[in-house]
Amino acid sequence: MSDKPATLSSEERDRRVLELWERVVEVEGRLIPTGLHVFGRASDEQECADLLRMVASFDRPECGARALTDLVAEGLGLGTYDSLVGDKSEDGWRRRERVDKIVRRSVEIFLREGSEHAARLLEAEARVSAEESGRVFALLSKIREQLRTSGELDGLVRSLRGEYVEPGPGADIVQNPSVLPTGRNTHAVNPYAVPSRPAYARAERVVSALLERHRAERGRYPRSMALVLWGLDNIKTQGEGVAQALWLLGVRPVRDGMNRVSGVEAIPVERLGRPRVDVLMTVSGIFRDLFGATMLLLDKAVRCVAELEEPAELNPVRANVEGQVKADGCSFDEAALRVFSNAPGSYGTNVNFMVTDSQWESADSLGDLFVTRKCFAYGRDRAGIALEGREARGALARALARVEATCQNIDSFEIGITDVDHYFEYLGGVSKAVERHAQARPAIYLSDALTRDARVRSLEEVVRLETRAKTLNPKWYEGMLRHGFRGVAEIESHVTNTFGWSATADAVDGWVYDEVARTYVLDTEMLERLRCLNPHSARSLVARLLEAEGRGFWEAEAEVVERLREIFNGLEDQIEGVA
Amino acid sequence: MKTTILYVGSSLLAPLRQAEEEINRRHRTGLRVAAHNFGAPLSENEWREVERDLCESEVVFVIHVTDGENAARLVPLLRRFESKHRAVVVINCMPELMRRTRMGKLRFGSATEERGDEGKANASGKGRGEGRARRLVKSVGSWMGEQARGRRRGVSSRHAQYLKLVERMPSLLRFVPGAGRLRDVKNYLYLFCYFLQPTPVNIRSMLLYALKHYAGDGRLSKIEVPPPETAPAVGIYHPDAPAIFETFDAYRRWYERRAKRAKTPPLVPSNTVGFLLMRTNVVSGTRKHYDGLIRAVEREGLAALPVISTFMDNRDACSRFFVEGGLSNDDGRGAARSRVSQIVSLTGFSFVGGPAMNDSEAAVEFLRGLKRPLRSAVSLDVQTVEAWRESWTGLNPVQAGMQVAIPEIDGATEPFVFGGMTAEGVEPVALEERCRRVARRLRRWNRLQNAERGEIKIALVLFCFPPNKGNIGTAADLDVFPSVQEILCRLRAEGYAVEVPPDADRLREMLLGGNSAAFGAVANVAYRMGVEEYLRLCPYAADIENEWGAAPGHVNTFGRELLIQGVRLGNVFVAVQPTFGYEGDPMRLLMSRGGAPHHGFAALYTYLEKIFRADAVVHTGTHGALEFMPGKQVGLSGKCWPDRLIGELPHVYIYSVNNPSEGSIARRRSYAGLVSYLTPPIEDAGLYRDLASLKEVLLAYRQSADEGEREQLYAVIEEKAAALHFAGG
Repeated sequence: MSDKPATLSSEERDRRVLELWERVVEVEGRLIPTGLHVFGRASDEQECADLLRMVASFDRPECGARALTDLVAEGLGLGTYDSLVGDKSEDGWRRRERVDKIVRRSVEIFLREGSEHAARLLEAEARVSAEESGRVFALLSKIREQLRTSGELDGLVRSLRGEYVEPGPGADIVQNPSVLPTGRNTHAVNPYAVPSRPAYARAERVVSALLERHRAERGRYPRSMALVLWGLDNIKTQGEGVAQALWLLGVRPVRDGMNRVSGVEAIPVERLGRPRVDVLMTVSGIFRDLFGATMLLLDKAVRCVAELEEPAELNPVRANVEGQVKADGCSFDEAALRVFSNAPGSYGTNVNFMVTDSQWESADSLGDLFVTRKCFAYGRDRAGIALEGREARGALARALARVEATCQNIDSFEIGITDVDHYFEYLGGVSKAVERHAQARPAIYLSDALTRDARVRSLEEVVRLETRAKTLNPKWYEGMLRHGFRGVAEIESHVTNTFGWSATADAVDGWVYDEVARTYVLDTEMLERLRCLNPHSARSLVARLLEAEGRGFWEAEAEVVERLREIFNGLEDQIEGVA
Repeated sequence: MKTTILYVGSSLLAPLRQAEEEINRRHRTGLRVAAHNFGAPLSENEWREVERDLCESEVVFVIHVTDGENAARLVPLLRRFESKHRAVVVINCMPELMRRTRMGKLRFGSATEERGDEGKANASGKGRGEGRARRLVKSVGSWMGEQARGRRRGVSSRHAQYLKLVERMPSLLRFVPGAGRLRDVKNYLYLFCYFLQPTPVNIRSMLLYALKHYAGDGRLSKIEVPPPETAPAVGIYHPDAPAIFETFDAYRRWYERRAKRAKTPPLVPSNTVGFLLMRTNVVSGTRKHYDGLIRAVEREGLAALPVISTFMDNRDACSRFFVEGGLSNDDGRGAARSRVSQIVSLTGFSFVGGPAMNDSEAAVEFLRGLKRPLRSAVSLDVQTVEAWRESWTGLNPVQAGMQVAIPEIDGATEPFVFGGMTAEGVEPVALEERCRRVARRLRRWNRLQNAERGEIKIALVLFCFPPNKGNIGTAADLDVFPSVQEILCRLRAEGYAVEVPPDADRLREMLLGGNSAAFGAVANVAYRMGVEEYLRLCPYAADIENEWGAAPGHVNTFGRELLIQGVRLGNVFVAVQPTFGYEGDPMRLLMSRGGAPHHGFAALYTYLEKIFRADAVVHTGTHGALEFMPGKQVGLSGKCWPDRLIGELPHVYIYSVNNPSEGSIARRRSYAGLVSYLTPPIEDAGLYRDLASLKEVLLAYRQSADEGEREQLYAVIEEKAAALHFAGG
């Protein structure tokens, strides 16, 4: 490492600096939760500047507001903001920073002095008309107003009086400001509306970014992928995940005369401009329940592609189905199974339980458990009979064996891959299952639409990003610790969920554990705080670090391990004593 | 002679069968009526039957088919058999099917409905009757398509036009000549009139009329087909009443007389459930499922006000019958004049918009004014009771989408299956056990509306996952103890008899500490339920023993007792929900499907219902285990565990607004009304420690023009980046 600088040309050096710059500001600008909500309490005025700026960074067609970032970029004559974001040169960065600075200041002035002053600033510095900015600030004012009060306790009291509780959409505020006010009866979506037209359009971008990234790293497009589909993001995005699956297969949704998505149509492969991708869909029990019609649609899409007369190199679905029929002597129906979920009426992979409770010997058993829980096929066979979760372990195993890459969407700032145990049980679980059956670890991707540059990242990148932006970030953990007991439990849960990525995907660098240990356990002052606030969770955290070391995910120094053991014993004693 | 009817729903089969029998008895035509429910996609075997029937039929009716897949497959079949069919009558279907109408010269096209004759008619300017008839048939023919294109704002005015049409059609038709160019137009409108009022007599007439004019059978050419019977467009139905009531006053008089005579409950607003019924089922006499539910509700001591739904827009029926003096959207006093305590929709459609679209904004605005909750129960109209019973899925995708997902967008809750078609039957039946469950839950909700706050008992259930003391109060993004404290304070202010601890920390200590150590429990043990008591009170204990062995088992137990963890605070019980119980059990984790909750889990809900006698359960935060217990996915039966556990208790779930998916599972599988909570504050992550200084050096590098300085800075950068593990990729 140390002898490298001397060998670099100044251009290479500049490029490396800008790469690092991008990664540092990526952490800096990542929105993170900085606390927990208390039911019925209004949110803190001080905390909403970043949120509002992010809200203002997206077009809001429902209220006629365009993104401030675009308005400013265009006002300055710099073209679209997306093109600025795509330009990674020094000049590109400077232009982007110029826009960001004006947007940031305008939101600050809006909060301090009101819409008019903010509009004047934008007019003066970026020739944004007051009419355009006015629509944005009207939305921001409304959000701010709604955040000042809380209707949650009223909603609860009304509900307990047996009154009507208004329905409302579900999402985070950036995604959909109309989730405010809260205190309402959150609803899902009409499954026949999925995927919506905008979702289908957005999915094309994500899919091409995904495929290009894979090709850049591995030299060719993946022939077969596994997608994890959840209800969570597909409700909020009106089916972007579903649309991604359709794009990978190379089909488009067809709406019937009632405007319902009820069929699919293949996009000619020459128009697609690339080979189709065979897609294995591992679907959550929740998606299965909420999107019954969509399950059938996805299955229909696979069958439609499998029947196209196209050469094997352009249509791996057909090639794989035909190959399997020949090799195994199975039916077309069996060979075309691609949509898998839990047994009907059951939920989850249990991989998270097994990891959290340390009930596993080798990582293989986690992959096997995923298959056991998810080997139920959905769709309809050629006779038109719904499969309704037919057990098909062999079919899943064969599909897994072909997979080269796995992918899942992240959809909100609060629910990231280390915030809940469900990402590692699904994306980690399916990746481990692939590794088991394909004898090779797949490339693992996450795609998110949280910022303007919809990004496809590797799992390892996201683990590092989450670790830097949340787990190791004083702004994050101090925010959690303000909530005392519950905050310690949150920290412990992040560490366990990070550990889950070691267990299922070996995707956590050793330094992550070093830094977690240093931040929370080896820092005596911090340890003392955790111990006083919630000794139970503090103990679990130390135990998890020891488990990471014991299972070989972390090559800790001997003294560190020794110290952790002592601390663990001390906590045990304290808890036993307390008890 | 044969006719095939492709229909959707549960109201047509019975009158069709009656008609077949009656026509054959009277006219000896040897008529065969083939009928297929086209509500959900058909299997290949079913298609083969349809194909055979279509091939053999002279006259074909296609009614209310809006399933895209079925339509896509049906269109080419109709084309294939075009030469065999003497008439194809398509009513209220999607546009591509409407265009398959073939009656003499009548064709529904995109622009003209009758090829060739339009120009002549206009040129000759034959009277107003003719123009009107053409406009009528055009609007009838394009109605469904218009709906589907759904220009929101227009729903109610288009709907009003439709209703007007229903009422005026027969009189309009009198002016249309029955012969000549307009013959087929008139015939279509006549058939449409019969269809609009699907009484058994009208359905028979509809068949006869079509056969007489198009089947080309001499035996029928001379018969008289009676003109359409009329039935009121709206009204109040009751299984015990001799007829439909056109006004609330008439219904009230009858209901009160009956109440005195039969000792049935009086019709007072606080005690009356308002039902919305499908007009077609009421008119066609296929209403046993309605009767079953109405009687079940009356057996629970509630009065019933079952009104005929106005199909496209229930606001009409609701304001006409459910509100004294009617309700306009903006008057804000609907609640005070409401005649019902709850609205139970049995239509299976959205509140405003009907089958083709939903205008939830209009629905919400209306219901907000009325303040009465909307429940939506499901009749198995495109699936049989047997199929539902056997299936782990429960409702098929069509029913789950139309009858659950869409009503939810209007704020509907309690998606119970209450009745439906059986495999052999011709009309829907009530599912007695489900009806009783719905009725009792409605009664419980009524108690929440009417009882003194001081009498009401509430269980607040907290989660603890993974099960250790550190995790008590698990909930996504929510600080649970201060939240519970806020709730307790508010409940006290509302008049509930709750003992509020001094602060959230104290509350937590009461729950974590107490006697928990003595039992090795996660939380304070509020009640110890002996095995005998448990077996006596929990009706499902035997089923649990099949899975978990003899009670009490080893989860949440102490010796021979089941431990109910929580603290009692006056009329509020703060409980801790046990977890699934198999987290630490490798053998159970490996089972591909779950069997049952463990005894300790069932014991908590048994305790809440039978010993604490809760009036409502509030689950506090996203999310617990109850709603993920084994059972059907949606449209649960009495054998499904979430249904058994929540039982008759009204259920409110405090749920993160950012999780509409799992929240919907809670609403569908455990009948929860959700109350959303805000996501936590979010801010830029910012930079800290060495990350912050790395950025400074990077910035200095970018701003420096001095090559020597840049080289030096770069060395620092590499060093810092390596220390921060940014090296490499």
